[in-house]
Amino acid sequence: MKRSLVLLAVVLCVLLSFSGFGKTKLIFAVHWSDYQVEGVKDENGNVVVKGLKQYIEEYQKLNPNVEIEIQSVPFDEYLKRILISHTSGVIADIYVLYSLWGVQLVDSGILDEVPKDVVSKVKSDFVKAAVDGATIDKAIWGVPVEVANYALVYNKKLLQEAGFNEPPKTWDELVAMAPKLTKRNPDGTVAQYGFAFLSGWDSAVVHPYLALLYSNGGKPFKDDFTECLLTSKEAIEALEAELKLFKNGATDPAASVWNFPTGKVAMMIMAPWYETALKLGFKDEYEATVGVAPIPYLKKPATVGYTWFIAVDSASKNKKAAWDFIRWMTLQDAGGFTRMGELMAKNIGSIPPNKKDIAFFKEELNDLYTSAFVKELENTYQEPNIAQGQEIKTILMREIIEAWNGRKTAEQALNDAKKQIDKILEEFYK
Amino acid sequence: MAGLSETKGPVRRKKLKTNTGAGYAFLAPALLFYSIFFVYPVVFSLIVSTKRWNMLVPLSRARSVGFSHYSYLLSDQVFLGVLRNTLIYALATVSLTIVIALILAVLINNAKLSVLWRFIYFAPVVTPQVAIGTIWGYLYRPNNGLFNSILRLFGMKPVYWLTDPNVALFSIIITAVWAGIGGSMLIITAGLKNIPQDYYDAAKIDGAGPFRQFFYITVPLLSPTLLFLTATGFIGAWQVFDLPFTMGRNAPARSVMTVSWYVYETAFQSLRMGRASAGAFLLFCVIFGFTLLILWLFRRGGIKGYE
Repeated sequence: MKRSLVLLAVVLCVLLSFSGFGKTKLIFAVHWSDYQVEGVKDENGNVVVKGLKQYIEEYQKLNPNVEIEIQSVPFDEYLKRILISHTSGVIADIYVLYSLWGVQLVDSGILDEVPKDVVSKVKSDFVKAAVDGATIDKAIWGVPVEVANYALVYNKKLLQEAGFNEPPKTWDELVAMAPKLTKRNPDGTVAQYGFAFLSGWDSAVVHPYLALLYSNGGKPFKDDFTECLLTSKEAIEALEAELKLFKNGATDPAASVWNFPTGKVAMMIMAPWYETALKLGFKDEYEATVGVAPIPYLKKPATVGYTWFIAVDSASKNKKAAWDFIRWMTLQDAGGFTRMGELMAKNIGSIPPNKKDIAFFKEELNDLYTSAFVKELENTYQEPNIAQGQEIKTILMREIIEAWNGRKTAEQALNDAKKQIDKILEEFYK
Repeated sequence: MAGLSETKGPVRRKKLKTNTGAGYAFLAPALLFYSIFFVYPVVFSLIVSTKRWNMLVPLSRARSVGFSHYSYLLSDQVFLGVLRNTLIYALATVSLTIVIALILAVLINNAKLSVLWRFIYFAPVVTPQVAIGTIWGYLYRPNNGLFNSILRLFGMKPVYWLTDPNVALFSIIITAVWAGIGGSMLIITAGLKNIPQDYYDAAKIDGAGPFRQFFYITVPLLSPTLLFLTATGFIGAWQVFDLPFTMGRNAPARSVMTVSWYVYETAFQSLRMGRASAGAFLLFCVIFGFTLLILWLFRRGGIKGYE
């Protein structure tokens, strides 16, 4: 009886190991949508553009002892997923992270230290804006996978109808052009906006403002983050520059960048990932309608950018396997390009931050939309990686909207923002 | 007799003991459920509200800050502002919902096709609040929304329903009242069915018209129902999250932010679990105080209702 029980246990162990029980399992958390994970498929279900899943299948074939599970969580829920997984103890091994969240994750010891060879590759192979995005307290905490910045997106047809053959180059030109592109209904409501912001989303409010702030020679914080500089002359002028568009009737707080594809918005400041929505909105008219140019500047050309980087959880039981996969996916040459670069350029529609990928995927990145963003990388200032970044961003958004609504002057709004932000900085940096 | 009681006493005590044990045994699942899903989270939240914790590190590593989160919130203009918004929302939605539901219930009670009317008014109650918020968001659009189209027909100026800071909260209140009428109406209708017809017949003989009947028979006899609706309405309204969150994201600053929304944002965007928990406890205190106040006011009016 005893002998047969031992035999049974051995057989079970063998069977379990063959069935994958003995594999190294990695959980990979991303915020991407279905087609970005599963791949773009034709009508017959055949994959025409690879998604993350196909790369992982390829890696698993090369490394049969590794099994990778993708956990895709919508962007709005992504940070909560990280928080809750840490509280419950069911963590992911690999994350794709928004740079703004980095400081708190690093301060809380959530991220694993990046191996030295990976750090040196990031420093040598990636564009500066992306390296800055993955850098927290002078250390690199992951491999950048996506860099995004902002540019002026305009409706060529609406501009031509109003007699403009070129987009504005300076902010003053934009302020002069925008009212001429605005049309009103008989009741006074705006039928077509010369320029549109978006009130309800922090990035759509704060990023264009930061772009103008940098363009005006200012910056939001002291370099050591001990003080908010939003009451500086440059910062107030930058917000006043935005307010000119509200005062001259070219826009109002009800405007929305999401109406651009309906042809009711002449100009807006937007990121590269909006390309697909514009193509779907304008269909055959896309190329004849959509134009992209650098953000009209105040004193010097500048835009703002943010980064997503891939990192490993410090509590992962399979850190080595996780970093091996990251090396293969983001750094290893796959024929003149990296696999992550291919995924970004061909499927996700974002700018890959690896210089090699930018050079390789010319066709994808040199189209009428993305090329302007790629060119602007040299003028891109990375959104600061600061403690309580999301909280600070929300505060600034709310105060800017107060000014947009005429409830505060630019100076009052930024004074109030500074007071609240300085309290946070005092808590974390003094 | 004495002998009888001596022999019966221990038996009774034993029986009582056995019954007590059985009682606790039967109560155990409910008590266990209550402890796990109510007592534990409440105690845990209370502890969290005295810490500076971002959920990314174990709670044991979080720094204790005493009751500083409470003092911060009670002096924070933002929190006091959202408390004010929630108070306006609660007072307006509860009072308007009950008054309109009462009038409609009385009108429908004796109307033809009353079941159909009740069904129509009840439909929003079974519709998710997020769906209601999204659909009403379209109705409130400044350019092509239904309400501004109607205003235009009468030559009136359009209203920025959800983006004007002076209007946005009231726009959301209108939606909440519309969504809440059906449920209140159904409960009032049940209350109306319990009022004997004799009272109305007697009042008619005495010459009382419909208005006198309404104010002297219907309203007083519905008072326990109205007390119930007021108390539960306020408890729900103080906790409101979904409608303002869905409809008010484009509203300026914090003109429509409610306490629950503030707590959510503080916890999951600002990663300040301690402050968020303190906010939740302050909300609990407000709701508790408000409910006691309502019960006291009704009692002063001679209505004891649900005891």
